[in-house]
Formats: sequence, structure tokens, C-alpha cells
Amino acid sequence: MNRQEAEQKLKEIFKHERFYDKQWEVIDYVFQGKRFLFIQRTGYGKSLCFQFPAVCFEGTCVVFSPLIALMRNQVNYLVSLGISAACINSNQSKDENTAILQRAMNGFIKILYITPERQENSEWIDAVLKIPISMVVIDEAHCISVWGHDFRPAYRRLFELVRLLPAHIPVLATTATATSRVAKDIYMQLGSGAKYVRGLLERKNFHIRVLHVASEDEKLAWLADFIKKQNGTGILYSGTRAETEIYARWLQMNEISAIVYHAGIDAENREEIELGLMQNRWKCIVSTCALGMGMDKPDLRFIVHTQFPASLVHYYQEIGRGGRNGKPSQIVLLYSPDDNKLIINFIETARPPLLSYNKVIDALKQEALGERDLMLSTNLWQTQVRTIIADLLDQKIIVAVISGKQKIYEYLYGAPEFDFTCFEEIRQMKYMEMMDMMKYAESQSCRMQYICNYLDDQTESICGRCDICTGTSEKVYITEKVQTAIDEFRNSFFPDLRLESKRGPACLMNGAAAAFYGFSQIGSVIHKCKYENGGEFSPYLIELTVRAFNKKLSDIHYDNIIFVPPTESGKLVENFAVALSKKLKIPISRGLKKDRATHPQKVFQNVYLKKNNLLDAFIFEGEAAGRSFLLIDDIFDSGVTIREIGRLFQSLNAKTVRPLVIAKTIGGDLG
Amino acid sequence: MKSEKDIVYWIALAHLSGWNTQFINQIIHSILFEKKMSFEEFFALKPEEYCRLFGLSDVHSAELEQAKAELPNNGFLAEYLHAQGFAVIPFTDDSYPVLLKKNIEKSHPVVLYVKGNTQLLNEKSAAIIGSRNALNISLEFTARMAKRLTEEHKVIVSGFARGVDRKALDEAIAAGGQSIIVLPQGVLTFSSGMKKYYRHIVSGDLLVLSTFHPRAAWSIPLAMARNRYIFGLAEEIYVSQSGESGGTWAGVLDGLRRGRQVFVRAPDAVESNGNNLLLQKGAVPVDMDGNVLESLKKDSAEELRKSVQYELFD
Repeated sequence: MNRQEAEQKLKEIFKHERFYDKQWEVIDYVFQGKRFLFIQRTGYGKSLCFQFPAVCFEGTCVVFSPLIALMRNQVNYLVSLGISAACINSNQSKDENTAILQRAMNGFIKILYITPERQENSEWIDAVLKIPISMVVIDEAHCISVWGHDFRPAYRRLFELVRLLPAHIPVLATTATATSRVAKDIYMQLGSGAKYVRGLLERKNFHIRVLHVASEDEKLAWLADFIKKQNGTGILYSGTRAETEIYARWLQMNEISAIVYHAGIDAENREEIELGLMQNRWKCIVSTCALGMGMDKPDLRFIVHTQFPASLVHYYQEIGRGGRNGKPSQIVLLYSPDDNKLIINFIETARPPLLSYNKVIDALKQEALGERDLMLSTNLWQTQVRTIIADLLDQKIIVAVISGKQKIYEYLYGAPEFDFTCFEEIRQMKYMEMMDMMKYAESQSCRMQYICNYLDDQTESICGRCDICTGTSEKVYITEKVQTAIDEFRNSFFPDLRLESKRGPACLMNGAAAAFYGFSQIGSVIHKCKYENGGEFSPYLIELTVRAFNKKLSDIHYDNIIFVPPTESGKLVENFAVALSKKLKIPISRGLKKDRATHPQKVFQNVYLKKNNLLDAFIFEGEAAGRSFLLIDDIFDSGVTIREIGRLFQSLNAKTVRPLVIAKTIGGDLG
Repeated sequence: MKSEKDIVYWIALAHLSGWNTQFINQIIHSILFEKKMSFEEFFALKPEEYCRLFGLSDVHSAELEQAKAELPNNGFLAEYLHAQGFAVIPFTDDSYPVLLKKNIEKSHPVVLYVKGNTQLLNEKSAAIIGSRNALNISLEFTARMAKRLTEEHKVIVSGFARGVDRKALDEAIAAGGQSIIVLPQGVLTFSSGMKKYYRHIVSGDLLVLSTFHPRAAWSIPLAMARNRYIFGLAEEIYVSQSGESGGTWAGVLDGLRRGRQVFVRAPDAVESNGNNLLLQKGAVPVDMDGNVLESLKKDSAEELRKSVQYELFD
């Protein structure tokens, strides 16, 4: 098919007049049965490069895509054009997925979207053996590379698949962001004869600036002022989950409608927030990096970062969500060199110690285990186990096998020795990327040009719109009034303890903490009292906790204050609860006890072992039915203790249990 | 594996339905060694070229076209196998057992699907076979033989059926020996067995092997076909107990026809099974410890072979 014929067909089916030159270059190669890597910015029309050939080919084009939302958008679009497209995903019922597979096997689906993880599913494998396959597409192909910013282990398998596919089947890999190293990695894995096209990255509607700030207060002051002045809605990216809560609360205090989004929020609420974002329900979404990939919202008017991301690739991808409809968009980084601490911490804790890897290997040499059983047998936390599994799969030391409905991991006979040294190179690279990100912030050359050049789109031209090009560097001044507001905010910010859930005990309500453990000096004060014989919790902590109660929990009546009994001897929490009882004038009950010895929860690294440690360990001597309790503890970490107590009181038909603690930890906060 | 990217072609050729194994092996031999083509080049040929260059019929050409259309599907299957820790060994591969080619000659399996220690494929080996419903004396013989052969550092080949097969495997493992399980089904339908013998697979003492399509379910024809491969993989063959029909019986006759020496436990006078008949047909009698009973041995091997020939033509 020549270009003219193809464009005629394009008009008939896709209602577009013509292809961009780069699109046609790719499509032409696909028609020749070649393998291709296409790097092009979001919104350019990469998808057409496989959708068009797929419609022309006999059979089904299988598209691996990392996100369900992304697949759904594309399927809806294609179906609206009358093209038979569908996606298989875990959000659909088994019957729906089976019906789609059946249609594909009968040759009725032109474009079938699946997640890379589906390749692990035996029903899919049974079906795919009978689907007439025309081509294979790997969307967001940068997820394949360990050098990339979004490495996803299941992508490794896709390239194994590509390697094994017969040479005449066209394969297209696409991505919007890839450094030359990542591009080379993808390109090499596509095999000999593969082609590679890179598009231009400049976004002509971006007004980029970097604002140097000297303190957290400056960030707060500037944010409230800036966001109020913006037209339309936008995203505020911050570094940790705790920070998202702090910033959102600050914006709310400044009468800006804001909502928090991060990976710790349950799936149902996250979907609701994503929907609200599409409908511009809030002025600003305050999020960690968890928000965004695959999001197709055209009209975000501002993207602000309060913490610089781990690399310029991350940064380009996150700001790339702004202004997709081409309208002017404000792109701001609030930069403080000290913010590198978070990134360094992330780099240094990215991989568990060698000992933990060996624990997993030894366990798997004895028995094939799933993730949960591995956590139980190794006492490692979930993130660690997942990292270790991904690395061991990557090094071909273990394999993932489906046994019944469960995914289990097997040690592979003859596997190579585990190589820990290769991670050092990745670690060094991550430091380099962080330094490059900081150099960008401190650079005095055009921001857009800097980013494009860094991402291998070499350009001489400057944007003419950024703070450097326009010579409009800004400084933050905090007025006395704003400073007072910030101080007041800091003294009245009490983190939520989210405990209410459909599956949990109905009597258990969300609670509050007086502070974040690592956010203030409170953590060290508690530690001193608790572990270094530092005496009772101070009147200041009692006062702060009373304030948290008054602000967040005083809306209902409590029959009793109860407190979490100690693991070892000691009356620290009890005395604290007694003091609160006097201040709040709620009678204390000492009925909550342990009827067996338990280990300190901090010994256990994961929720399963923590749960086992406390399962049925509590009893309550007293009347609970129909009554409401304020439950006191010092530190809130995983929430397992509070939930177990909630379970006990639910069985006793209590009306309400609501926790109040001094501090909430912010461990495992990234994402 | 030297050229993993060819695996899809091997899988396609190995499971061409209606083509017998010998014919497939001939075609592969012709492609790779006579015409010196790559599989990629072969599958790019037009139907008329299949006829002209390889003398294939129109029906065969059409079936190859169909196999070509299914190559991408084999890619998905091959990746799935690989990710689950299975290796696919074509007959041109260095790790493919030499003995299997020697014993079965041109009808050797096109590919082997395996998990575990592939070095076991080329070690000294012995098979112990027999009925599913074996007498205690047969199980005792199996246990003793498994122990003895293990002590002689031989890999025990068995078929993972109930009775003698399982006994041979378990005794070999208990004695710290090494084993090959030859499956009567595809490797992907054997997850319970994999789980049970996991530690032995992982430690390199056990290899699981199948010659059938990875998704093939257990069936009687596959179980019968599998017996030939057990014989093919073993240097020595010991029969613990055979019926007068069934898998063991047919397997031994096939072995004798190919001139293999088959050791059969000499049965007690009270036993009613096929062991005596097999001895009459030329199998070598052994006692409970596998020692040859010279007194019971028939004289003329040639005559015995003839009797087997008669049997096969009956």
C-alpha cells in the first residue's frame, strides 16, 4: 500500500486527512514486517502507527500496555470509529475476559490490549495459541530497561517474547521518554534489522521556571499565592505521602480545593479521584509520582513540583501531563538543593542487603513459594520481597510458575550465582541522574532546550518562554501575615489515621495523630521516653494530643478511654492515657489486656507476621456492647495492632473504636 | 541451546498433525544439512517451492502454510515455557541424548521439553518398568534394582505411572540417586508432580521430560508412545512385571524387535503375568537382584527375534 492509498483509507476509517511524515515512515516499515522503536512525545499520535496497520492486516494485533486506564481510553476511541478493539484486564470479570478471548480466537478482534502481566496467565496462553496474530506492539517500552525510570519486571518477558517470535511478524515498540541509553537497550532487544525513529520533544506551550527556595515555609507561602492565581486546574507533585497530606491541608486552609493522591490510598478511592480530576472537581491534586502515567487529560494548566524528581526523565514525563491541548501551561519546580536527601535515601534503600537476597534464595531452594509465604518465611517486608523477586527473575535465578491460581517462585536448577555487584552500577547511575537533575535546576540556559538535549533531541533553538529566556527569575517573600498563618498551620496539623475499610471491623473509625513521627522533633522525644528511660511523655505531648483530639475527634461521645497494653512491662502508654483521661474528662478503662505474651511488633518486617503475632492476643474485661471507645497508643505504624483491637471490639458488639496516637510514622512513604 | 530464536520453528515442525516423526526428522535434516537453509528461509518458501525443493505434496504444503500462520502463537508458547523454567531441546542440540538417537534411530523425538538437570540425559542410564498394579514381589524387585543401579551411578529412567514406575523413582531418590521422569503428557499439565518432586528437580537429581505438545493432556495413546522413549533413553532395561498386553508388554516387544537386550524378572511358578511369555520371546531372565539367570536363558537369539516378528504380524 502506498502513502496515497493509505491516506485514503486513513480518511475513511480514522477521519484524519494525512499522516505526519514520521508516522508514515513507521507505518511503512510495519507493512514491511520490520521491528521498530518509535520514540515520540505524548500526544503526537504514536498509537496510529500500529492502529492503522492493524486495521489493514488480517488477524489480531496484540498490544501490551502497562495501564488499564490507558487501554480503556484507546479501546473506547477505536470502538467509536467502528474498529473491533477490546482489552483483557483484571478489572473485568472472568466471564467478560473469557468472552473477549473467544471473540479473538474466532478472528473477530482487530486490536487486543493486554497488560504484560497477562503473559503469566495460563488461560491467556491457551487462548493466544489459537488467536491469529498479525503483529505485536509494546507500548511504554521504556519499562523494559533497568536503566529506565519506570522499570517493570513483566516487561522483561515481553522482550523475551519478541526474541522468540518469528522474524516476519512486525513488532513495534513505542515510548515518549527514553534517554539514549534506554533507547539503545530497547533497540538492542528488538533484534537485528530493527529500526529506530526519534521525534522532537519540545513543548511550545510550556512556560517553565525553577524557583530557588530557602525553606519549607517559602514553598508553602509561594504555593498558596501561585495556585490561587492560576486559571484552570493542575497537579502539585511532592516527594512523600506525608507531604501530599501536608500540602493539601495547607492549600485547603487557604481556601483552595485540593485533594491527596498516592499509592497508599485504596484502589476505589484512587479511581474516584482520577474521575474527579478529569471533571475538574478540584483546583489541585496533590500527589506523589503515583499519579499520571497513561492519564489522558488535555487541559491541565499547571504542574508544580515541591520536590525535584529523581531524574530529568522523570521530570519531563511528569510535566508532560500539562497542557496537552496546546494552551499555555505553567511548569514550576520549587528547588532547594537540600531536597536531594529524599532522593539519596531512595537510592540507598532501593535494594535490600545481600543477606536478604540469600534468605530468599535459600527458602526457594527448599520449597517453591508465593510472595506471602516468602514474606512469612523470611521476615522481609513486601517491598523488599518484590524487589528481590524482580532481581532474581531478571538474573534468571528463579522463575515464576502458575500453580493452580497462585503464582509461585521456583529456584532454577543450574542458576548462576546471584550477582549483587551489577546494582552498584545502577546506584552510581542514579546518583548521576540526580546530579543532572540538580544541574538543570541550577543551569542558566534555556530550560526546554536543556531538557531536550538531555533526552537526546539535540537542538540549538531556545524556547523564549522559560524564566531564563525571559530573564524573570523570582524570589519568595513571606509577609508577616503569611508567616503567622504558616505557624498556625504547623501547630494544628494533625495527620489522619485511615482505618475505615469495607473489609475491616465496622466499629473501627478513622483516628488522628498529634504529629508525623519523622516530620518534627516529636519522634525523638517519644524514642527517648520509650527506649532510653527518658521518663513519662511530657506535658507538651499531652497538650498536643489534646489539641489533635479537639480538632479531629471531638465530634462524638466516648464512654471510655482505653489504651494499648504494653508488650513488655511499663506504664508509659497507660500513664499517658490516664493524663488524657483527666484532660478530656473521659473515664479510663483498664480492661483491654493481652492474654498471652507477644513479641514487639517492630521485630516483624511485614504485615502477615505482625498479624500472626497479635492474632487473638487481646481480651477486654468490661462492658463493650453498644459503647464508644477512644483508643490511645503512642505510635501508629502499620495499623495492625489497632485493627486487631478493632476486630476484638467488633466481636463484642462495641459501637465505636477510634484511635488517638502521639505520632504516625512515615516509613514506606514513597509512591 | 544454540539458537533459541529457532525454537518456534522447531515447535511448529515437531507437532505437525498427521506427519509421522520419521518424516518430520527427514524434512528437518534435508532443510538444515542438505539444502543448508535456515528455518526462517524454509518458512518463507512458497507452496510450489515446498513441492519442487522437498518433494512435498500439496496437502503437506498446505499444512506447512498453516504451521507458518501459527508461528507467532508458538512464540507466545515458547516464552511461557521459558519463563516457567522449561527448556526445549531440538535433536540437533548438543544436550540431546545420543543414546535416544541411537536406540530409536530415525523416529527419535523432534524436540524434548525438559525441566531440571539436562546433564542427566547423557549419563549412564537404566529403566525399570512394569505394571501399575504390581505384586509385592515386583515392587520389591523394583526397589532392589533402583538401589543397585543407583549405587552403580546410573540414572533411573521411569514413566511416572502408579506401581512400578513410581516405586523406581522414589527408591532411586531415597538412595540419593538421579532420575529422569518421561511424561505421558505435556509438561504444562504436570504441575502437581513438579510440586511433589520440586526439591529433587532443584538440586539437579531429577529431570522431567516430555516429547509431547506442552499442553497435551494425559491419554492412553500418549502413555503407550511414551514407553518407547523410556526404552530409548536407557542403556539397560529391567522389567519388573508385565501383563500380557498393555504398555509394558508392547514396549518390551518393540524393544526386542529393535534388538535391545531386555532383562525380565524371572517370576515365581505361582505368578500369572506376562513375564514368562516375554522370556520365551527372548528377554533375559534375572533374579531379584538383577543377576542374569543363565540356566533359564534361551539359546538362539535369532529364533527369538523371529517369534517376536510373528507376534507383531499376528
